[in-house]
Amino acid sequence: MNTQRKALCLILCLPLLSVLLSGCWDDRELNELGVTSGSAYDWENDQWKATYQVINPSSGASGMGGSGGGSTSSPPFVTFTVKGRTIMEAIERTNLTSTREMFFSHSRITVIGESLAKHGINQLIDMFLRKQDARETVYVFISKGEAGDILDQLMQLTKNQGAGIQLMIEQESRLLSYYPGTRLFELAMSLASESGSAVLPEILLTGPDIMDETSETGRTDLPSRLALGRLGVIKGEKFVGWLSQKQAFGLSFMTDHIETATIAFASQPRKSDKLDASFILQNSTTAVHPVWAKDHFIMDIDIKGSGVLTELGSVMDLNDRNAISQMEESLEQQVVDLVNNSWMEVKKLGADVTGFAVRVHRSDRKRWKQIEKEKSWDSVFKEIEIRPRVSFQIERTGLSNKSFKSVQQE
Amino acid sequence: MPQNQQKGRKTAKDPVETSVPAPLPLNPSLEVNLQEIGKRIGSSSDIVIRNFTNESLSSLSLTFIYIDGLVNADAVNQTVLQPLMESVTLKGDTITAEAAFSMIKDQMLPVGGVKEGKTLEVLLAMLFEGYTLILFEGLQVALAADTSGWEKRSINEPTSQGVIRGPKEGFTESLRTGTSMLRRRLKTTDLRIEEYKIGQRTQTGIAIIYLKGIASEQVLTEIRRRLDAINTDAILESNYIEEFIQDGGLTPFPTIQNTERPDAVAGGILEGQIGIIIDGTPFALLAPSTFFNFFQSSEDYYQRYDISSFLRLIRYGAFFVSMLLPALYIAVTTFHQEMLPTTLLISLAAQREGVPLPALAEALLMELTFDVLREAGVRMPRTIGPAISIVGALVLGQAAVQAGLVSAAMVIVVSFTAISNFVIPSLAIANSIRLIRFVMMFIASTLGLFGIMSFMMVLLIHMAGLRSFGVPYLSPVAPMIPRYLKDIFIRVPLWSMSMRPKTDLGKETRRQGPNQKPQPVEGANQGSPEQPKPQGEDPE
Repeated sequence: MNTQRKALCLILCLPLLSVLLSGCWDDRELNELGVTSGSAYDWENDQWKATYQVINPSSGASGMGGSGGGSTSSPPFVTFTVKGRTIMEAIERTNLTSTREMFFSHSRITVIGESLAKHGINQLIDMFLRKQDARETVYVFISKGEAGDILDQLMQLTKNQGAGIQLMIEQESRLLSYYPGTRLFELAMSLASESGSAVLPEILLTGPDIMDETSETGRTDLPSRLALGRLGVIKGEKFVGWLSQKQAFGLSFMTDHIETATIAFASQPRKSDKLDASFILQNSTTAVHPVWAKDHFIMDIDIKGSGVLTELGSVMDLNDRNAISQMEESLEQQVVDLVNNSWMEVKKLGADVTGFAVRVHRSDRKRWKQIEKEKSWDSVFKEIEIRPRVSFQIERTGLSNKSFKSVQQE
Repeated sequence: MPQNQQKGRKTAKDPVETSVPAPLPLNPSLEVNLQEIGKRIGSSSDIVIRNFTNESLSSLSLTFIYIDGLVNADAVNQTVLQPLMESVTLKGDTITAEAAFSMIKDQMLPVGGVKEGKTLEVLLAMLFEGYTLILFEGLQVALAADTSGWEKRSINEPTSQGVIRGPKEGFTESLRTGTSMLRRRLKTTDLRIEEYKIGQRTQTGIAIIYLKGIASEQVLTEIRRRLDAINTDAILESNYIEEFIQDGGLTPFPTIQNTERPDAVAGGILEGQIGIIIDGTPFALLAPSTFFNFFQSSEDYYQRYDISSFLRLIRYGAFFVSMLLPALYIAVTTFHQEMLPTTLLISLAAQREGVPLPALAEALLMELTFDVLREAGVRMPRTIGPAISIVGALVLGQAAVQAGLVSAAMVIVVSFTAISNFVIPSLAIANSIRLIRFVMMFIASTLGLFGIMSFMMVLLIHMAGLRSFGVPYLSPVAPMIPRYLKDIFIRVPLWSMSMRPKTDLGKETRRQGPNQKPQPVEGANQGSPEQPKPQGEDPE
């Protein structure tokens, strides 16, 4: 090989060498990481108060052979509470107390305290969207009182609490559909949309005390558990009020967030109002059409669905088509009531968590432009009427055509 | 490298520095010849010199020379010594040396190979091949009778490339046995065997074996040229030849296959490759070879195609595992922790608690340990085998984890990598992967997945540029020839492989008739295909 070619090769290799120099700076060993599984933010004395739940790997998070043991004294996670004028300042301060670098990529949940929700959450969302290792897919919750306390509570059946709460909300929205789990990017999207409002499920402790000692997880029934409660409504960036579970359920129907849901209803509405039957709604779609009626919008809400009858407490003959229709009617009425009830509350709060603004924008551009110009959506929203129309079908009634009660009576 | 080849050819003319002198013609005097021979080969104890003198007339005097151990003693006794010594004619008093020479040559040696030699060099060369030399007083020509027959290993099962189904015979160290094994498999007039003697001191016999018309003439010429250009003093094993004739350039990848199996060589020859058998080693070479040849095992063709295809895909998988797994582990655990599922991350982190070494050092430690164990396993005496396994498994595996030197996950990674390495049928490529793995680990520890990707690209570019005797190393994938992909990633049924996979090599591309797929005869009665025709149809 002649020297000229050699020299050329060498010159070409030099930039390649610089590539090698770039790598090592951000390598981290696993045992230098403080893997956070959840974070909680509060607002206290004009300062951010952040709580981080850091997984303690050596507590045998995965049942490591003989070396962990289930009931050792070390808890599955530890929490740090830090304060700072900005969130990042608070995060950096964890390094004053922690032996490990915070690592947020595996974070599953974020809890926003009521105090912070009242102060405003824009900065928090901004931080999540901006920070490299923060994930926008974390589920966001709101808590009445101190958010940090939520992260102290130990859960049963799971050692990774953040993941546990995530499972809880995912299962809830799949099986119950009372409220949809809100991920951070969804929160940001709805706050940035025309509606400017969003809902966050509440997470709460069912008991007065925090169960934060590992010895207590040995009990079969904890006096205090984590649970999903109401639905917090955020407007703009601030908390404006709560929707009860029932109202949240109605909202799910309005916003087409129903996956499967169980509805209790009166099987013979003409005879009694007793809720004596249940129905699993397996498919449901909601279509919303805004109609301009002279001076206000009327929302046509068409809810269609089908499902299975799973429980029947009254004497009925299911071979009779009329009986089925009767039940369907009763069901539909049940949902209409839910929706109406929910709408009343939403209207009272004045926060467009139903996403009606988006509907209006899409179907009636001109008028929306007008509204946008006048910034009058809030007042327009308060004038909105809804016309919920529900049509449900009971597709199957199970193996028996009669309720067991009627079998017994024969 | 055209320059290097030129250099090689130039040096071929001036021999390497050895003590081989210029050819010396025989002297009429037997005494002088014997002295000269003695000077050349010394007075080694294995050289047998027998004199035969006519008692009545001193004009006829013969000397037998052979090397004990290289000759078949029975053959020497029965075919050379006995007929000559018992011959009445030779004992008669009128016989001259010339007459005796032609008589012995034509009538008295019941041996297949009888040759004449006029120079000392030719005769000595034959002596070393097990011939018995017969030197005559007063003649400048001598006879050599082929009495060669040395101890040979019998044909055994191949030790390094065993199969479950398929022939269990492997090459032995003998060149002639090797060629005979191939002859027995390829009973065609097209089979050609060309022999070379390479190595100034070892004079090792090398045979190139190919099928005329199927092997590429270009490749043949190139192989002959490269073999001719070898000018070294010793060839002891096939790797000597491999290194001398393989395409130059720095590459970790082998471009010539080696195999212990005659059926593999026969298979290669039938696909247009050229087999090279080297005397003294049971490993034959096959060239040209592409990357994918190293993933084909001869057993692939001895079992059902679906199973073979599955196994072959596993091999490719194992190739990647063996090359990448430790590197991926390092990259993911030090750079891309977010890629791991949380539970796995926590479990890995828990295992790494208290491990003092960074992931790279941990991986290197275990990988090197394994290589040491492996090397020890090859070298150690058989009887110590269990000891090594116990040390390897218990002391290094179990205890190292318990002592907190390495994490349990790393032991899993290393052992799985090691086992994957053994899945690859060719030891040659398995070893090069072992080497690449270390480079990969270093790169992964500095650049993460990005580095792994870049290095894979570099490797791919390198492989795409490699040639084995003019055949692109990655063919038929790059350059892509879809027609020849039938035997690359999966093995299609034999009946659909009607063309030879590498038609760019030779001229005869078709190896079997078309439409070989078995099909039931239309309208045939099930059970008895040959039913007697009804009598009525017969016009008679």
